[in-house]
Amino acid sequence: MAIELFVFYFLAFIAVGSAALLVAMRNIVRSLFLFFLTLFALAGLYVFALADFVALAQVIIYVGGVLVLMLFAFMLSNKTLLNDVKEGTFGLPRWPALLVVILLGTIMGYTFLQFASAPPQWIRDAEQENRIITTTDNTVHYLGVNTMTRYLLPFELVSVFLMMALMGAAHMARKGGKS
Amino acid sequence: MIFIITYIAVGIGLFIFMAFFTLYAVYSERKIAGFVQDRLGPMETGKFGLLQTVADILKLVQKEFIMPSRADKVLFSVAPVLIFVSVYLGMVAMPWAPELSPSSLNIGLFYVISIISVEAVGVLMAGWGSNNKFALLGAMRSVAQIVSYEIPAGISLISVVMITQSLNLQEITAQQGVLTTSSAKFLGLWEVGDVGGFLAWNVFQAPHLLLAFVIYFLSSLAECNRAPFDIPEAESELVAGYHTEYTGLRFAFFFLAEYCMMFLVAMIAVVLFLGGWNSLLPNIGTLRLADWTTGMGWGIFWVLSKTLFLVSIQIVIRWTLPRLRVDQLMALCWKVLTPLAFACMVISGIWRLWVMI
Repeated sequence: MAIELFVFYFLAFIAVGSAALLVAMRNIVRSLFLFFLTLFALAGLYVFALADFVALAQVIIYVGGVLVLMLFAFMLSNKTLLNDVKEGTFGLPRWPALLVVILLGTIMGYTFLQFASAPPQWIRDAEQENRIITTTDNTVHYLGVNTMTRYLLPFELVSVFLMMALMGAAHMARKGGKS
Repeated sequence: MIFIITYIAVGIGLFIFMAFFTLYAVYSERKIAGFVQDRLGPMETGKFGLLQTVADILKLVQKEFIMPSRADKVLFSVAPVLIFVSVYLGMVAMPWAPELSPSSLNIGLFYVISIISVEAVGVLMAGWGSNNKFALLGAMRSVAQIVSYEIPAGISLISVVMITQSLNLQEITAQQGVLTTSSAKFLGLWEVGDVGGFLAWNVFQAPHLLLAFVIYFLSSLAECNRAPFDIPEAESELVAGYHTEYTGLRFAFFFLAEYCMMFLVAMIAVVLFLGGWNSLLPNIGTLRLADWTTGMGWGIFWVLSKTLFLVSIQIVIRWTLPRLRVDQLMALCWKVLTPLAFACMVISGIWRLWVMI
């Protein structure tokens, strides 16, 4: 048990520490690569929550896709624009960020205290009926069945939405001319 | 406590195996190149030149670390390790024999695909960290290629998963031989669950998986930046690529990663399409060849020999075919392989619903 706890705190420390450093850092490329570390540590934390599929989806989508895209966008954009970003001349004041952080922190702390003192009814029910996921369960199976039955409509809506985004991107990337 | 020591021992063992494999894959690469080009290849160092790559690595280890003065020091030194580790972590889920794999994950295949995609980040890191425009351009080319070819590779793997209904690599392998618990049908017609051998392999269980295998094999070549898709490091036409500035042991890490990647993608192909640790020989009547040749030692033998066979095909392809131009490369990926992979996926769905029932 001690090892699991150690690994958990290690991952949590890396996630929080790298995220804090990422925001504070002036060097944008380095902060993008630190983002990679944050995402990876978060994926590790998902594994601790027995959400192995989510963890891997995070790695393949965010690390393999979004992060690479962000790096590309950074490396292909011109230098004056980047300097603007560095100097923070976007004209955004900083206090809204602080406000959001404090509010979110309050909500999370409040929820944590609530859950710790009195866990909700559905959690207690599940515990009593022994409906608990164990480490060896095949979670992909449950996910697949649920996506194809209960959540079929949202799933299809999301896929249509993504298709629209793809077609739009392809249309915008096409060279103008024969119109 | 004992299981932690086992894990560490397995990790170290795999690393030693991969290092040894890399040494002799480089040797065989040079020998096969010699064969293709009608010359002898390395002959001087040791018997038949067997110690040539050992001598090479000794030379590499002794070389100086040269760090470009304006390079980003941290990114420059982390990148080769990151690239190697992402490939090496992929080995975790690979099955070697019945009941024998470093970790039998329920979502093994998904894990392998996702952890390999981390390599792209390492390549970009190397290109940017070098602070050299040729390295950066090389990294961009390489990543564009890796990311594009992940799509046909992934879709062709999905078409296998739709047939096998599992992401667990052990289960996928077990379904392709005499140890299957469900039915295995040759071309969907002839029940070969107790005949086994090559007849029960996935490529023969459904005919369109042969096409999926070819698609996967081609895109895996592109994913490890091998010829004919080696534009990222086309040494005869362009400045090398993302590893231009690297020397010594760091360069050796790139080499190690490339050869581990070759082994890993070949092993994925073997596990998903060519029966993994299942025997090549079928049961013929009372001659129970498949039963005799399935087991722990045999499993390792089969998976290793099939994988090395695929690796040697990769090497022969490298020295036989000319490389593609970059527009041809992308056209092949997006206009040929991706639609074909999607077609495979659709056929898999139909096959699963109407033929396998």
